[in-house]
Amino acid sequence: MNFGYILVQNLRRNRLRTVLTLLAFALPMAVFVAAISLVVAMARIGKENEKHLRLAVHHKTTITNMLPEGGRRKIEALDPTHTRIAAICGTRWFGGRVPDTQNTLTSLAADADTFPLVYADSEMTPAELEDWQRERSGCVVGKVIAEQYNWEKGRRVTLNSTVPPYLSLEFKIVAVMQNPTKANYFYFRRDYLQESLKSAGSLQPDLVNIFWVKCNSVAELHRVQPEIDALFANSPDETKTEDENAFFAGFTQAAGNIPGLMQAMAVVVVFIIALVAGNTMMMSFRERTRELAVFKAIGFSRRRVFGLVLGESMLLALFGAVLGVLPAAVGVMYASSLMPASMRSFGPLTQLRASPAAVGASLGIGLAVGLAAGLWPAWQAMRMRTTDALRRVA
Amino acid sequence: MGLPLSYHWGNLLVRKTTTLLTIGVVAAVVGVFAWMTGFASSMNRSLSFASDTGKLIVMKSGATAESNSAIPIDEYNRLSQLDEVARDPKDQQRLASPEALTQVQLPRTADQGLTRANVAVRGVTEMAFRVHRNVRMVEGRMFATGEPEIVVGRKAADQFAGLRLGDNVELGYAGNRAYRVVGYFSADGGPMESELWGYLPSLLNSYQRTMYSSCALRLRDGVDPAAVIERIRGPAIQLTAQTERDYWLSQSTLIQIYLTIVSVLVGIMSLAAVFSIANTMFASVAGRSRELAMLRTIGFPRSQILRSVVWEAVLLSLLGGVLGCVGCMAWLRLAGDTKDMFGANTFTSMAFNIILTPWIVAGSLLLVVFVAVIGAMLPALRASRIDVVTALREA
Repeated sequence: MNFGYILVQNLRRNRLRTVLTLLAFALPMAVFVAAISLVVAMARIGKENEKHLRLAVHHKTTITNMLPEGGRRKIEALDPTHTRIAAICGTRWFGGRVPDTQNTLTSLAADADTFPLVYADSEMTPAELEDWQRERSGCVVGKVIAEQYNWEKGRRVTLNSTVPPYLSLEFKIVAVMQNPTKANYFYFRRDYLQESLKSAGSLQPDLVNIFWVKCNSVAELHRVQPEIDALFANSPDETKTEDENAFFAGFTQAAGNIPGLMQAMAVVVVFIIALVAGNTMMMSFRERTRELAVFKAIGFSRRRVFGLVLGESMLLALFGAVLGVLPAAVGVMYASSLMPASMRSFGPLTQLRASPAAVGASLGIGLAVGLAAGLWPAWQAMRMRTTDALRRVA
Repeated sequence: MGLPLSYHWGNLLVRKTTTLLTIGVVAAVVGVFAWMTGFASSMNRSLSFASDTGKLIVMKSGATAESNSAIPIDEYNRLSQLDEVARDPKDQQRLASPEALTQVQLPRTADQGLTRANVAVRGVTEMAFRVHRNVRMVEGRMFATGEPEIVVGRKAADQFAGLRLGDNVELGYAGNRAYRVVGYFSADGGPMESELWGYLPSLLNSYQRTMYSSCALRLRDGVDPAAVIERIRGPAIQLTAQTERDYWLSQSTLIQIYLTIVSVLVGIMSLAAVFSIANTMFASVAGRSRELAMLRTIGFPRSQILRSVVWEAVLLSLLGGVLGCVGCMAWLRLAGDTKDMFGANTFTSMAFNIILTPWIVAGSLLLVVFVAVIGAMLPALRASRIDVVTALREA
């Protein structure tokens, strides 16, 4: 009769309780996985963006105020030899809506020459790059968008802009971006937009919302940042320069701070499973006080009795965690395909993957909770006086 | 004859630890649930205050929100001549309010200005206060048309910093035109309460605009909004109109997403609470099978035993429910009850106050009772079917 055998037998004794505990443990655990996956997905996007060393230069008051495109040359003049700044790409919001839907895509016009360099994460092949340079109405589309509308490379698509003067433009898809950080984006050439704006009689065809400045190193990024704002200080269009993650953090906050919500949820959930596991262990211990006393009486060491109770708690927690984590880990992969289109516009939701880190962390938390829940009963079991316990009526 | 309440209390007290732990589980679930319903209801309340059926919001075709709409002045003039637009009985003016939607970034008070929110700045004329009937000044005075002055919605004043009476707010395209806050207005809790309002020509100038953004129309009594919307879309005017209700509903999709996520998670957690209660009640029933058998012997019917177990679970969960609601209130007090989110396309924040109304507390407690009854069902059935003779003979 070895240790493991006793543990398993104990769990099998009150099967109903074990099953109920497992369920009550597994469900919040599933929530935990979903929550932590989203947090991990956001962190991963942040980290990926960081690698590309991009600064966002936009109007000081708000990004809806546009900057004259000549700003690009002024910033380039900061570093004529390209030792610090690799390239600058101006982008302008198009807000294209897919005809006959309510969905506005994150669609932006970008400087054709520097786009492939600044957005190296668009991962275009040499052939696609050639198409991008040659095809004036060319566009590159993120994977999520392409899947959603069944668009493939080479196809012509139309978007209706939701900003004045509400152009309707036709594009030819030259590449589908596979990179998860770009999966929700739609980029096209700004010269094409300028031309179309001009022929529509727009007074401001040459304005951009943001200059994306790709730096050569982290050190340069931090150095260039204040220099750009100083460059435009006291001009009619003062700028605010921030790194890409700081820039997007504002949007995350404005979208209700979902990562914050998820973190709070994760804490609540850990609290719940701790109580569930603790409850079960207390009940088991209470009912089995005499039995544990018998173990002690027939010569089980105090340590062994301690381990027996603690082991049971951890085994239960482990089962519960696995039961919750694995289905949830598979589930979140499909979650994005079940979401309505409006939900998918929140990028990180489409990139939900139960990463090994998230699964590992969840299992770890589950085990830690099992440990915490078992400690008190195990301690009591170890400390109890055999004679008292034997005398006690359960 | 029923079992006295004190009997149930007694049962709960005997197993203190288990009771407390189960209460904790229920409290955690209810706390989140109450927070979520508080948010949802404050949003719905806010949107319902903005659903004046006699009012249309007119935008440029193709625009998705007032903030990305641009209506040239001549188009506005054609629109305001529409027959269906009501006239003010006093001076026969048409109740059409041209408006310009711009924005300013202001620090949130909730995090002491760590993050900034995009707040809508609406340029209006005196007509706006006649068309938007629910808007009225509650403190201070109206802005003077000749001065750089603004009035501030109550919620905006609450949630964004630098908007006290007498404060200067830097507005305008370059953010260098100081406007003085001279009054607060209420919109009965509607989304406009998250906005700053100033005089239209002055703001158009400060923001270097030449076009209006949108126009609010009050329709004559008895006019069918759908027919007017059709007319406005027609060849003579070629603009897009929506009832106010439809407009704000279309702007609330982000918030709906948020609430969907939370409610799925809360649903899963509630299920966990059901299992947890079942667990506790099974243990409770198993622990006193002799006692229950005794009750049966002295004449308590099965149904009474069944009810007794359910009652006990309900009592236990109600305690958890109350604790959860109190916890949620404490959390709102400590961490702040304000929340602002972007409209789907407005690019400006709608601010909400999460308030636990008596109805929400009642709803949360109802959820708790529901969870308790489901969780206690099987244990109660088992309790009522105890084989009296065997149970009494048990050690």
